Amino acid sequence: MSDDNQITLTINDQKVVVDKGTSIIEAAKQSGIEVPHFCYHKRLSTPANCRMCLVEIKGAPKAMPSCYTMVGQDMEVYTNSELAQNSQKGVMELMLINHPLDCPICDQAGECDLQDMAVSYGSDRTHFKEEKRAVPDKNLGPLIRTVMTRCIHCTRCIRFATEVAGVPEMCATGRGENMQVGTYVEKALESELSGNMIDLCPVGALCSKPYAFTARPWELEHTDSVDVMDGIGSNIRIFHRGGKVMRIDPVECEDINEEWISDTARFSYDGLNRSRLTTPLRRKGKSLEACGWPQAFDAIKKAAGKASKPDAIAGLAGDMFSAEDLYSFNAFMKTTLKTDNVDARTDGSTMTGKHRCKYVFNSGIKGIDKADFILIVGANPRLEAPVLNARIRKNVLSKRLQVAVVGAPCDLTYPTMHSENTAIILDQIASGEHPFAKQLEDAKNPMIIVGAAATLARKDAPQIMYRLYTIADQYRVVNKDWHGFNVLQQKPGRIAALDLAVYPEEKGKDTAGILKALADKKIELLVLYGESDIPPESLKGAKTTIFIGSHLSPYAEVADIILPAAAYTEKTALWMNTEGRAQESKKAVAPPMQAKEDWKIFRALSAEIADPLPFDTQSQLRALIVKRAPVFENLNTFVPPKWESFGLAGHILDNAFEQPVRSFYKTNEIMRASQVMTECQDLADARADVNAKQRKVG
Amino acid sequence: MTIPFLELLTLENIQALGWIVAQVLTITLPLFLAVAYLTFAERKIIGAMQLRIGPNMVGPKGLGQPIADAVKLMFKEIIIPSGASKIPFIIAPVMVMVPALMAWAVIPFDKGLVLADINLGVLYLLAVSSIGIYGVLIAGWASNSKYPFLGAVRSGAQMISYEVSMGLTVMTVILLSGSMNLTAIVEAQQGMWYMVPLFPMFIVFLISILAETNRAPFDLPEGEAELVAGFHAEYSSMPFALFFLGEYANMILMSGITAVLFMGGWLPPISTPLFDAVPGFFWFSLKVAFVLFVFLWARATLPRFRYDQLMRLGWKVFLPFTLLWLIIVAASMHIFGLVGA
Amino acid sequence: MKLWHIIRQFFLLDMIQGFSVTLKNLFKPKFTMNYPLEKTLTSPRFRGEHALRRYPNGEERCIACKLCEAVCPAQAITIEAEAREDGSRRTTRYDIDMVKCIYCGLCEEACPVDAIVEGPNFEFATDDRSKLIYDKDKLLQNGEDFEIRIAERLQKDAPYR
Repeated sequence: MSDDNQITLTINDQKVVVDKGTSIIEAAKQSGIEVPHFCYHKRLSTPANCRMCLVEIKGAPKAMPSCYTMVGQDMEVYTNSELAQNSQKGVMELMLINHPLDCPICDQAGECDLQDMAVSYGSDRTHFKEEKRAVPDKNLGPLIRTVMTRCIHCTRCIRFATEVAGVPEMCATGRGENMQVGTYVEKALESELSGNMIDLCPVGALCSKPYAFTARPWELEHTDSVDVMDGIGSNIRIFHRGGKVMRIDPVECEDINEEWISDTARFSYDGLNRSRLTTPLRRKGKSLEACGWPQAFDAIKKAAGKASKPDAIAGLAGDMFSAEDLYSFNAFMKTTLKTDNVDARTDGSTMTGKHRCKYVFNSGIKGIDKADFILIVGANPRLEAPVLNARIRKNVLSKRLQVAVVGAPCDLTYPTMHSENTAIILDQIASGEHPFAKQLEDAKNPMIIVGAAATLARKDAPQIMYRLYTIADQYRVVNKDWHGFNVLQQKPGRIAALDLAVYPEEKGKDTAGILKALADKKIELLVLYGESDIPPESLKGAKTTIFIGSHLSPYAEVADIILPAAAYTEKTALWMNTEGRAQESKKAVAPPMQAKEDWKIFRALSAEIADPLPFDTQSQLRALIVKRAPVFENLNTFVPPKWESFGLAGHILDNAFEQPVRSFYKTNEIMRASQVMTECQDLADARADVNAKQRKVG
Repeated sequence: MTIPFLELLTLENIQALGWIVAQVLTITLPLFLAVAYLTFAERKIIGAMQLRIGPNMVGPKGLGQPIADAVKLMFKEIIIPSGASKIPFIIAPVMVMVPALMAWAVIPFDKGLVLADINLGVLYLLAVSSIGIYGVLIAGWASNSKYPFLGAVRSGAQMISYEVSMGLTVMTVILLSGSMNLTAIVEAQQGMWYMVPLFPMFIVFLISILAETNRAPFDLPEGEAELVAGFHAEYSSMPFALFFLGEYANMILMSGITAVLFMGGWLPPISTPLFDAVPGFFWFSLKVAFVLFVFLWARATLPRFRYDQLMRLGWKVFLPFTLLWLIIVAASMHIFGLVGA
Repeated sequence: MKLWHIIRQFFLLDMIQGFSVTLKNLFKPKFTMNYPLEKTLTSPRFRGEHALRRYPNGEERCIACKLCEAVCPAQAITIEAEAREDGSRRTTRYDIDMVKCIYCGLCEEACPVDAIVEGPNFEFATDDRSKLIYDKDKLLQNGEDFEIRIAERLQKDAPYR
């Protein structure tokens, strides 16, 4: 062909043109021909050990594994010739020798590769008359249930653990019939991505433990949605039955999560059904009692009417909210209650939505693939965004990407260069004294990842931002074709809050101001929207406190009126991920009992207290949101913002960066309500204790 | 103040009245029992003909079944439709029932064993048995409902049509016997039952009484498939039971008339000393039972006629045929000089 | 022919023929089963009231594979399952709506462990529809009540499966 990098071959007499270096199986897939396979996975290395993908290549003496054989010019490949079919049938029969016939009790049944392949390519009888083997099950922790007798030794899980998750704990011991897949030492996997092994496993050897036996794939309905357990907005598919979320799986999205999701995204769904608020509550003396929506609204109306001046009213929003939620909350506070004391930045950050480039992941998550040096400042991507960390790891392994960390010590699963944990290092980098400066200098596409949680909540955040701006400027981190200055937000609602200005815009109090006013008893009506980082003790002091949220939280202690809202699976909503990419989550199930979607609550409440907010439908609300922040207009598209200067010149404090995520499995109210996540956290805590002791001994 | 007719209240009159009442009761009470067990026999016989066994659970061999049915009917609620004319609605079943009983007054059970041995017995029978149709018509009209109304209309038309041919067949019997007294007619059959010389008339009479009593295959007035239950669709409980009793009492009555007119009444089949020793009542009952069996047999065998077929049979077949036969009988009697014999 | 037709009509020969049939039947042996006292034989494949069986050691057979639920054309079966304390897969709920059920026997066909069967019993009429929504307890009780007959029937039918 004309292009040197293109190769022409025929597969089943069909002409195919593919890039050089493509495997036959990929070439076949591109031309719509299915080749059966078990061990091959496009995001993992290729061991060619299942032999299921054998194809006939004209001229080759025997059938060749199509996953490992690269295409050649004018190759003639047959995937359905007699030789290929016999090979597939034979391999299938061998595969089934030791596979138990327990499909009726296997959770994989119905979506099992082995079942499908056996039906499509296998024979209906076997020559095997001897006894089958049995393999003891392994304990892989609270998330993965193992039935190792079902294992067909494709080694996908081993390769995933080693290559993607970066926890080389899985292995195959023994040979031949005695081969067993398991962990070297029996223990729970120390990975935030371990759940993906369940998807990878082509049989039912690795199953989801929380999902075990609860449903069958054919009785589940599914809704494509967006994960909000971290800031990157992984695309997920919510499987539900009878108004209950049964399972969450990833959806392939090359730009964001490839096809992985974190364990928190996958397994936290049981928190959606536990300690939920299902009916409005009102305080009667010391206890809260259930009441109807009209009674609750009436009480709020009275409290709002009693407030002496708008400044005595304040509102704080949490981090788990979509654009609709935040916009309607903001409008409710600022228009209906006429107060400017509104803040969604409950961690104490004072950043505003003025320069978009200073709070989003400018290069896009896919930009990591282009970077050749990453300077991580005050972030722990492994815990803040495990999927993003897996992408960095992929590039570290495959392209020798260098990673340097300025911040709290952390194990990112790949080799990193650590500096001393103090912010002063940034001064040194800016002045070129620090060794990282040299590497930034040398790199073609240098990247800076700033952890929002540990960096932007600091008192000296403006100064740090200024220093980072100068570093970025100095070392060509941002240039014509490359925008490498990135902020990693862990909180799913934060960017939307900044875009929609859910903070005091005129002279209102910010979080610190509100807390101070509360302590001084100057706040009469406090609206708490969702849980945040502020401890409930410091929220005492308002005459009337309203809590609106999906879960019963510690804030219930201080609240006088509680309104039940919807969780992320229960509303169709817009979410802004850390890249500043708007994505839509779809309503999979209805909010429990009397709970309502958040924007409807604010709309109804506004009509009760004063003039109704100017939207009656979700599309009207969307239009208002887009008017306020046009970035919400184009869904699923990544628009890098303009590079502008930001920050304030000044001195950086000589403080260490804090650990951004203390309890990975407990970062929001859904996870806190989840039993599975509690188990994981207990395990992680115990492991941390043991590690600390070992370090002391060592 | 004098009470009118008080002077009639003498001891003899009271005695005579009591005697009449006793006589009436001796006829009607067994008749009711017979009606009850006729329903039972019907279910058993039709069941057997359809290879079933019929009711067998209540009492020995199911013999308690009619009693159970009667008790059930008695304890049911009497429902009078809100649109119905109340008084005619209640009177109608009585008007069906009573003529069926009245007619028995002239039926001779044995020689001399007859309540009223009147000379115009046949005429009385024809008159009284025709009154029943008024009950049916009133029932259909008073129900104020379309199915009973249609049923009643059908019933009326059917009765009129078949009474004509029935009357003509009876005429042949009268011609032969030369008397309208039923006892005389029976005695005239001493040598030969009239069903032998008048066999075609006997068959026509049998078919006509099927139609006259609204029995299958001529049960169009209550055709359940098209008219739900015909004229008694709105009836329940005792009024319904009265219709039911009336229908079966009519069947027995018609069988009795057949026995008297064509089958020699109480006469034994052959006059032998042995047969003569048997009381005539026994022979009479046997003949009635046979005709009743034919009723049931026909019901088990024949499907219901279409209405136009019914009318065609009545007017286009029976009427000309019986007329012709009447002429033949009269002519042959004239030729053989049997007139007035 | 026409003459014969007329003769037949005139002399009611068809009628006589018909009446003779019913008369003959009058004396023939009867088919009626005296039902509550005597019952007809049922085939081993008779599809009556459902039952959930147990193994001889008392362990319930059903493994909550939900194939019966999936195959049920009337969608009369509702199953909920989770891991039992000992880790085995068991139902927590197994309901059959006997009013919806069309007694096609596909559940029995689908069952890999012969747990759900349609037993020999057909006398389960009640005066209340709610009693016709069978739960797991009722089905297991049925299994206990009819186990001997069910097992016998399954064995008889086994060679043809």
